[in-house]
Amino acid sequence: MAITVNKDVKGKEYPPFVVTVERGKIKEFARAIGDLSPFYLDDAVGRASEWGDIVAPPTFAITFRDDNADTGTVLKDLGVDISRILHGEQEFESYKPIRPGETYLCRSRITDIYEKTGRSGAMAFVVREMTVTDPDNEIVCLVRHITVVRL
Amino acid sequence: MRYAKLYWEDVPADGTMPPLVKAPIEQIQLTRYAGASGDFNPIHQDDAFARAAGMGGVFAHGMLSMGFVAQSVTDWVGIGRVRRISVRFAALVRLGDVITCHGRVTAKRAAQGRDDPQVDLDLWAENQKGEKVVTGRATVSLPSRG
Repeated sequence: MAITVNKDVKGKEYPPFVVTVERGKIKEFARAIGDLSPFYLDDAVGRASEWGDIVAPPTFAITFRDDNADTGTVLKDLGVDISRILHGEQEFESYKPIRPGETYLCRSRITDIYEKTGRSGAMAFVVREMTVTDPDNEIVCLVRHITVVRL
Repeated sequence: MRYAKLYWEDVPADGTMPPLVKAPIEQIQLTRYAGASGDFNPIHQDDAFARAAGMGGVFAHGMLSMGFVAQSVTDWVGIGRVRRISVRFAALVRLGDVITCHGRVTAKRAAQGRDDPQVDLDLWAENQKGEKVVTGRATVSLPSRG
């Protein structure tokens, strides 16, 4: 049965949320991907490196989530069940390394919603952007996420 | 001179990145990735749920494949050099699939001001049947032998 998405949420900003990066989370994430680089896993190697500590892998900011700004909340706003969605596209723009122990501010908003009909039928594309900043208000990374809803 | 795993001068203008072959996808890896990433969508864990959703069974998180693609870049150029990486998820990755990540140099740019010189890459990942499951691009900045 065809469904519709609530396009009124285009432009909606979600409440800012704070994450403090845990050392163990970086390691757990790298291991889950099967990337065993010592620059992610070995504290001594990290300390002696140009960054002075381990750093996070390029896609780590995907772990920056909050109950009031995550996919579940967005789906509620769209009026869509989780079984209808696919991950369409993803992008990370990185300006500073993500480091253990650092606290970051994350601001997320829906920047676009559009519909297209492809080989597998009608779909809605929901574009979300999250800006991650450090306590100096410097942008650490930009995260763009396109969710595809099977209509 | 600063150390680099790969110096900008050593990137061939029409160069190919060494492919990265990952181990076959197992359910336990999807469970680990769910825990590590916080993405607990049952479509990656519960076969009955995934079938009922019309997806023909569980499939891997797109972000796991993107993690593989990012690893193929950092394995080549070193950690901390990726300025931008973007992907489109082109096909589902299933249990047992063997994913191989590829890349090709599309542009080299000399240093601008105080920034390191950059390299643009086309990226893609294929399954064992040679079907593209991910396509993407990256920009990396690499130290110069200068």
